[in-house]
Amino acid sequence: MTVSLTDLTKRYGATTALENVSLTIKSGTVHALLGHNGAGKSTLIKCLGGSIRPSSGTIRLNGSTLAHLSPRSAIDAGISIIYQHLGLIDHLTVAENMFLGTELTSGPFVKSRKQVAIAAKSLARIGSRIDPSTPIAELSSGQRQMVAIAKAIQRDAQLLVLDEPTAALSPVEARALGALVGRLRSEGLAILYVTHLLNEVMALADEVTVLRNGQAVWASDMRTVEKADLVRVISESSDTAPRDTHVIDRSGKPALAVTSIDTRADVDSLGAEKSTSLPIEVYPGEIVGLYGLIGSGRTRLLESLYGARTDSRVQFELNGLGATAQAPRDALAKGIALVPADRHKQGLFLSLPAQENTVTSVMSLLSRTGFRHVARERDVFNDVANLMSLRPHNGSLAADRFSGGNQQKLLISRWVNQASKAQVLLVDDPTQGVDVGARGEIYRVLRQLARLKGMGILFSTNEPEEIMALADRCAVIERGRVSQVIDVSDTNAEILLSTIHPTNTRPTPYSEGQLV
Amino acid sequence: MKHPLGHRVLTFLAENPLFFLLIVMMLIVQALTGALLNPANLRGVGLDAAIIAIAAAPAAMLFISGYIDFSIGSVLALSGVVAGLIMTQGGDPAIAIISAVAVGSLVGLINALFTTILGLSAFVTTLGTMIAVRGIAQLLAPLPVSNFGSSFGYLGVGTVASVPLAIWIAAAVLILAAVFLRRTAPGRHVYAIGVSREAAYLSGIKVRTIPFVLYILSGAAAGLAGAITVARLNSAPAGQIGQGFELAVITAVLLGGVALSGGSGNVFGVLIGVVFLGVLNNGLVLLNVPNFWQNVASGLALVAAIALSLLTDRIRYRLVIIEARRLVEADSAMPAAVTAGSGER
Repeated sequence: MTVSLTDLTKRYGATTALENVSLTIKSGTVHALLGHNGAGKSTLIKCLGGSIRPSSGTIRLNGSTLAHLSPRSAIDAGISIIYQHLGLIDHLTVAENMFLGTELTSGPFVKSRKQVAIAAKSLARIGSRIDPSTPIAELSSGQRQMVAIAKAIQRDAQLLVLDEPTAALSPVEARALGALVGRLRSEGLAILYVTHLLNEVMALADEVTVLRNGQAVWASDMRTVEKADLVRVISESSDTAPRDTHVIDRSGKPALAVTSIDTRADVDSLGAEKSTSLPIEVYPGEIVGLYGLIGSGRTRLLESLYGARTDSRVQFELNGLGATAQAPRDALAKGIALVPADRHKQGLFLSLPAQENTVTSVMSLLSRTGFRHVARERDVFNDVANLMSLRPHNGSLAADRFSGGNQQKLLISRWVNQASKAQVLLVDDPTQGVDVGARGEIYRVLRQLARLKGMGILFSTNEPEEIMALADRCAVIERGRVSQVIDVSDTNAEILLSTIHPTNTRPTPYSEGQLV
Repeated sequence: MKHPLGHRVLTFLAENPLFFLLIVMMLIVQALTGALLNPANLRGVGLDAAIIAIAAAPAAMLFISGYIDFSIGSVLALSGVVAGLIMTQGGDPAIAIISAVAVGSLVGLINALFTTILGLSAFVTTLGTMIAVRGIAQLLAPLPVSNFGSSFGYLGVGTVASVPLAIWIAAAVLILAAVFLRRTAPGRHVYAIGVSREAAYLSGIKVRTIPFVLYILSGAAAGLAGAITVARLNSAPAGQIGQGFELAVITAVLLGGVALSGGSGNVFGVLIGVVFLGVLNNGLVLLNVPNFWQNVASGLALVAAIALSLLTDRIRYRLVIIEARRLVEADSAMPAAVTAGSGER
């Protein structure tokens, strides 16, 4: 089966998420799709999966046009998308998940035993020995990925789309996945492999397309491509917001110093293998990047600093004084604020007006004798909206009416407005789900907060380019521990990549690894 | 930024569809029976509505913060019985009223402990207290207590400036609730908790304390409603008073545009909901519609109101889009904004 996209375009109002993208995925090949967050990768795969409708352009399957694709008809046509979140339901078993929506029934009853047997066969086909009666909740992320792939295969997928499949996997699991991808390819599947990791592309892909700002800027057969070529194309496409030459004054006390990272969960899972973690220091005016994969413990560390986790506490120093945060309220009182990664669930009050989202945490401070000081709230909002270049500058519009980038600005403005006492800003994955234009804006805003307001900023990311663009120093985090602290002026994106993906543990192509 | 009159009328319509339905309904009932607007009838309708409104104001705030209280009717019964018992023992009316409120607050405190501190489901907890508290009321007064004396009776039937005392009390409660919700920081935090408890927690909002206090207020208000109810009846039949009261309160609150899922609603809406339900029932009585049909009508009204609110949500959405376009035009520098987010979800 050959799937070809021709001149695919998707517009959201004034923004173009995808512009005249054409690419072809042939059966028996792995087509890699490279690009940064916001380059249009997810828009493209959502169009393929029928969950969003392209503004123009066509999707053809073996030459015949698929019009009005819906998630259902995409699956029926043999297109299977495995999103990063996998779409599995924790409380159901492996077999129940694999038959979700297509249950085998006799009369009103589900034929569980038959489902389990077939699921076991499908799993065996991809070399997995997971028991189909296990609840999903008990599986590792690698095993879940296997289940998602087995589910797609079982539904006769002809085109398999993998969205950053190794983002949450350990090196061993990633290696096994690489082997599986090779095997599926040799069985004649067409595979679209979405990633931003060059090594994976080098190891697995037959063809590659690079997206930048919604356009396909480069495509090639991998036989003629050297890694250096990819590095060149990618670095051209990275957001080259010029780094400022600000010199950090590290003579005083750090705004935030994290000395010991001991969490109960780490002790449990690693047991004797407890290595020491390097300290992280963030000086006033400095931006430190916490660089690690999803699942490396970066979110846990930020949440622990903020007192938002009950299972782990972190000792730290604020301007030289020892402290811990018992709860977010406590952290805020001490001058630490967190911008969480999941804007919609943990951050914004989507149905409430923008202004209220901004002043949520300072409303009490602005109050007089128990009553809100509405005029001052408005001033605070207007001031911070100007600082952030919030678009539209309208405090009465509900938060869910803003674009991703502007929502992120709204969320940041909760902590950096003139009434907030935050001196240390923790930002978990600052540009997740933010389009390219807004990404530069977010960088500008964060930089401004550090340089002009003297805040200490600690942000987390899994993108080396983001470290290069934003951070002064970078703390590499692996399995909950900081293993290296690097001055960003001494490094580049490729070196950073290799620190968390040592080359010897990357996927070895097409060798049969042990699949869990 | 002043909108044209048509736009403002349309917005008000979209936001308060029930208000217009209420006016239409009142006109129809008045035209058919001629009795709705006579002072004695209005006083009766007002008194019924006032008792519901007193309990509905704090209950609505609980709803907005994402919690629920089913124990309101039973609390009304228990508090009424306690107040009645105190009066039949020759107690002071003030003591009786204070005791009724205290008993209600105590039940509210129990609800609060189980839900906000121990994290039990609010639905299950308050369903449990609803049943248990009704039982306690019946244990305390297996036989109806009655004859409480005229000074206590004044709470139920007395008037100030020829308006029933209970209506004045309800007005005060509603105004306090509205001021709290609109003009204080914890009041705004009620909405934030209802929209996203997790985001509220991470914003440093007191996500336990606020619903905790609201539960106590809900109990206290139901207790006060209980005292007024028995004062009005001059009798406190533990098994009958407040039967279905919680459903009337919940119906009125939902009619008033409070979302069961939390995060939206306001006191004006609740007032309209309460009055709407009162006029609907009264209208059916005046039209000599049999008793059971009143329940049918209330139930249908609720479903219809929810459907209506879905419809008006769409109208409102259109208005937001129009507003957004206007802003885009006004601010050409804006690249993505407004419309971008909507397509992706």
